[in-house]
Amino acid sequence: MNIERLNGLSMEALCALAEKMGLDLPPALERVFAVEAILEAFEEDSAERRSPADAAAHIEEKKYSGSELDEIDASIDAAPCIARLYNETVVHLLARDPEWAFVFWDVREDEMDLLRLSEGFSGLFLKVIRDPGRDGRTGASFDVPVGEEDSQWYLQLPEQGAQYRVDLCARLGSKHRVIAHSNVVRAPRALLVDALGDLDPAAAELAALSGLERLEIVPLPERHPSRILGGFDV
Amino acid sequence: METGNVAIVLNAHLPFVRQPDYPRFLEERWLFESLSETYLPLLRLFGRLEAEKVPWRLTMAISPTLTAMLGDALLRERYAAWLGMQLELAEREVERTRDDPAIAPLALAYRELYTQNLEDFTVLHGGNVLAALDFYYKKGRLELMTSAGTQAFLPLYQAHPEALAAQVESAVVSFRSTFGRSPSGFWMPQLGWYPGVEEVLGAYGLQYTVVSTRGALLGTPTPIHGSYAPVSCPNGFTAFIRDVAATESVWSEAEGYPADPAYRDFYRDIGFDLPLEYIGPYIEQNQIRTFTGFKYWAVTGHGADKLPYDPAHASAKAVEHAENFLYSRARQARKAQPLMEHPPLMVAPYDAELFGHWWFEGPQWLEALFRKAQGTSELRFVTLAEHRREHPESFESVPELSSWGEGGYAGAWIEKSNDWVYRHAFKMIERMVELAERFPDESGLRERVLNQAAREVLLVQASDWPFLLKAGKSGSFARKQVEDAVTNFTRIYEMLCANTVGTEWLTRLEKRNNIFPAINYRVFRRKR
Repeated sequence: MNIERLNGLSMEALCALAEKMGLDLPPALERVFAVEAILEAFEEDSAERRSPADAAAHIEEKKYSGSELDEIDASIDAAPCIARLYNETVVHLLARDPEWAFVFWDVREDEMDLLRLSEGFSGLFLKVIRDPGRDGRTGASFDVPVGEEDSQWYLQLPEQGAQYRVDLCARLGSKHRVIAHSNVVRAPRALLVDALGDLDPAAAELAALSGLERLEIVPLPERHPSRILGGFDV
Repeated sequence: METGNVAIVLNAHLPFVRQPDYPRFLEERWLFESLSETYLPLLRLFGRLEAEKVPWRLTMAISPTLTAMLGDALLRERYAAWLGMQLELAEREVERTRDDPAIAPLALAYRELYTQNLEDFTVLHGGNVLAALDFYYKKGRLELMTSAGTQAFLPLYQAHPEALAAQVESAVVSFRSTFGRSPSGFWMPQLGWYPGVEEVLGAYGLQYTVVSTRGALLGTPTPIHGSYAPVSCPNGFTAFIRDVAATESVWSEAEGYPADPAYRDFYRDIGFDLPLEYIGPYIEQNQIRTFTGFKYWAVTGHGADKLPYDPAHASAKAVEHAENFLYSRARQARKAQPLMEHPPLMVAPYDAELFGHWWFEGPQWLEALFRKAQGTSELRFVTLAEHRREHPESFESVPELSSWGEGGYAGAWIEKSNDWVYRHAFKMIERMVELAERFPDESGLRERVLNQAAREVLLVQASDWPFLLKAGKSGSFARKQVEDAVTNFTRIYEMLCANTVGTEWLTRLEKRNNIFPAINYRVFRRKR
């Protein structure tokens, strides 16, 4: 959305756009101020949506050149016409970047009803387990309480390069019951696997020439302090 | 011996948009615009270089969705009709601007462009742009790679080996049936790599790809040549590495060549500037303003006041920028070369639509690049396959999960605007696996139903939809594409569970979503 596009819209279209963007424009507002208000609101919205460093993505957008309705449409949170959930007991985990993962889950309605009737039931939580063993033994973990109406969450992962699994659990008094296990994901690393000092000098120089600094990639420190947060149950 | 090698890689991709139920459809313009401004101009450029015996080498990843659309009879027909409409507008523009000395020559140039496009498309290529690309592929000038079936962002489907296999198998089959040979290169959609994907790709005979600089440098172990040589995974799969400097000089929106004030401005377009009563017939539904391709202004600066576009000045600038690119790469190679046994390789991957569609002078820049490079012994243009043949041994390293999106990982495809997509996509995959297991040997109508279900599962995985949802461009269209795939699939799933099939509806759906005609739903049979 830019000033040229807005100037090309009728006053009715501007009012409709303002309404869709949640702007409360006074009825007799001059056209020029309406344009200004919409532009300002759109820029705020865009700033939230985009990072200024995301140049490649901005360029990629150009191939999807659309219409004046692009931004209007994007501003509407259209009501979904498909089921939001599938009434199943499940939990999925996706690694997003070195620090964050996305988890989404659901609990079958009848199972949830039974849980609510269970003695001592006080809610659901996610158990985030680091390096879950294949033999069924679990590594360090921490718990994230979630509401019964929640169905997804972004989780901060304490250690890059580590593997994680999430168990969806019900708290029953001082105990808990695992309702579903997620798949295992590995958080990608943001640090070089080697310290620059450990690399051959030519390799270190080539890494630098390749844009290590520009990409803000940090070599592994000689002594890498543990980034594990406190609060883990081992 | 040369100081360095340069590999230009173009990613030619558009999501599958084909709406036979509507006489005209806004998003089908994505294909028409890219044909007019990117693919036909590129083919003309290839022709000129060939005719004048200028050595050129280019790698192009052509996605199965774009391949399907370029080969589709309905879309070809619609493109020819759209060109007719553009020519009509061009005639009116020539008339409208005849007294404006700055704009009139531009209107004439657009008339010439669309006349040439119509001539090339209908007569020279007989509507078959794929055959034209294949011609240069067979000649060895153009190396073609394939990409995931519907450009799924593969790191997010790691836990679904059946979906990964379907993405890769559909791509390989599509490529083979289009170009008559198996692909050896595979473009990772959005450069989305994760450790382990090389096993999936290697299983289909694929040999190489391109990864982001970040992913490669963070690989295990750290590559000893930085981004200046590919790395080899333990299974022999080669990962070429994107060169940051070469990429940014073109790709950077703020500092890249296309931002130069001399070039044609992308945004100012008569579709937004002229009164509706004039421009109405050439935009959507006579009232939805959209790009028409008629742009008369130069980038000039950040403000709304633009200077008229001067093609001669812009062409000279494109040559200047080509020289700058070559100079910068040669300087870069001279620094890296003493530290290596082989000439350093700089891989420059770009979206193909950057050339011509967004950066109007991009094809001229490419042409100047090859012409200027023939006069220097310092740099040599190579294709990725050629480089792999010449240097079969690479340092062994496995790149880290990465992409070329914002932040360098998966963040662009999984955030608040688009994360809802995955619940549905995963459920569809799970149900498709269930169907493939329950009905492993179907034929006739039930096989058709299952194959259509598999198509819908592939369509929902397109990374374009989460990308558009995040970007806020065509967001409701992207949402609808996802919802349609979910609805279609769910209907098929329920039909199969109830043992009933609506043949009329199925036939209509097959005609609309006719991608991957040779799909075999059994690719979704359980992999573990």
